[in-house]
Amino acid sequence: MEQTNTDLMLIEGILCGQTEQYSILVKRHQRFVFTLALRFSKNREDAEEIAQDCFIKAYKALGTFKQTSKFSTWLYTITYTTAMTFLRKKRLDTLSINDDETFIQLENHTSGFMANGYEKKDSYKFLNEAITQLSADDAAIITLFYQGEQSLEEIGTTLGMAPNTVKVKVHRARQRLKEKLQYLLKDEVKELL
Amino acid sequence: MSTIEQQLWDYIDGNLDANQAKIIQEKIDNDADINLQYEELLSLNLAFQELDLEEPSMSFTRNVMDSVKLEPAPIALKTKVNTNIIYGIGGFFVASILALVGYVLYHSKLQFSNFNSRINLNIDWNTLISPMAIYGFLFIDLVIGLVFLDYLLRKKLAHK
Repeated sequence: MEQTNTDLMLIEGILCGQTEQYSILVKRHQRFVFTLALRFSKNREDAEEIAQDCFIKAYKALGTFKQTSKFSTWLYTITYTTAMTFLRKKRLDTLSINDDETFIQLENHTSGFMANGYEKKDSYKFLNEAITQLSADDAAIITLFYQGEQSLEEIGTTLGMAPNTVKVKVHRARQRLKEKLQYLLKDEVKELL
Repeated sequence: MSTIEQQLWDYIDGNLDANQAKIIQEKIDNDADINLQYEELLSLNLAFQELDLEEPSMSFTRNVMDSVKLEPAPIALKTKVNTNIIYGIGGFFVASILALVGYVLYHSKLQFSNFNSRINLNIDWNTLISPMAIYGFLFIDLVIGLVFLDYLLRKKLAHK
């Protein structure tokens, strides 16, 4: 039943008073929202707080959701603005991100990926590390493009940019990610990928 | 970023039209350096695509739902703005204006038989603003007020 219900069907149910159905929406989108939040905060605790805040905001504003776009696009827009607000606050608090701590966070994370052997796992570890070294905007754009399965138009809606600007930003972010990977892996980049 | 690298990314993303894609494909086939670069970018693209999403804590959904339970239930915007009330208020004002205009015209002794005739707009307001008319006006106001109060109470009840 849960598998067949689309996001829009669930939203209609919630707006008709079946509020418990919101948990299905949360379960469906929590991993991506959390990943996107993590790209900004670089810290799992903060990312969890941002992601929770996003889902509560989305719930409160669910009545205003115009069903002209995908729910995920609308939710990612909320995530982006919430994360940006969080970053601004964090900057005001003058807290710096410690690279060693970031690395520990990645080590602690238990990703579902284990099946393809040690080398592949290592490549993902380095790739994740390279992503954390990117600026928040670059990391978010890479995440939206590859992991969010969003089109350039949808990313443009989320970030408030024209699709052509998004395209250029994706190119630049990929280039910078490639450079970070090359720096981290030196000559081993080709072997690991 | 070099132009060829940008073109290769566009080729991988499928952003090129058939003609441009054909040109790039020829370059990949005929130039060993470009072919090597293409293979590298293709591997990178595959690695980016296969990146796994991060997993929040086990209690994440429960925490969200606990917070959500404290919030009022969301209502669709179209049900928030009750058009019947808007049309009702609008209709009342239109009917009032029409009634007033009709009453004025009825008492103005307007005659169409002679174009030269003057319209008598010397209305005796004392006869128009009678206690009965004031009571009627206040009664209608009271009804509208009660309807609005009922709407507010229903809205409050729905939020609980």
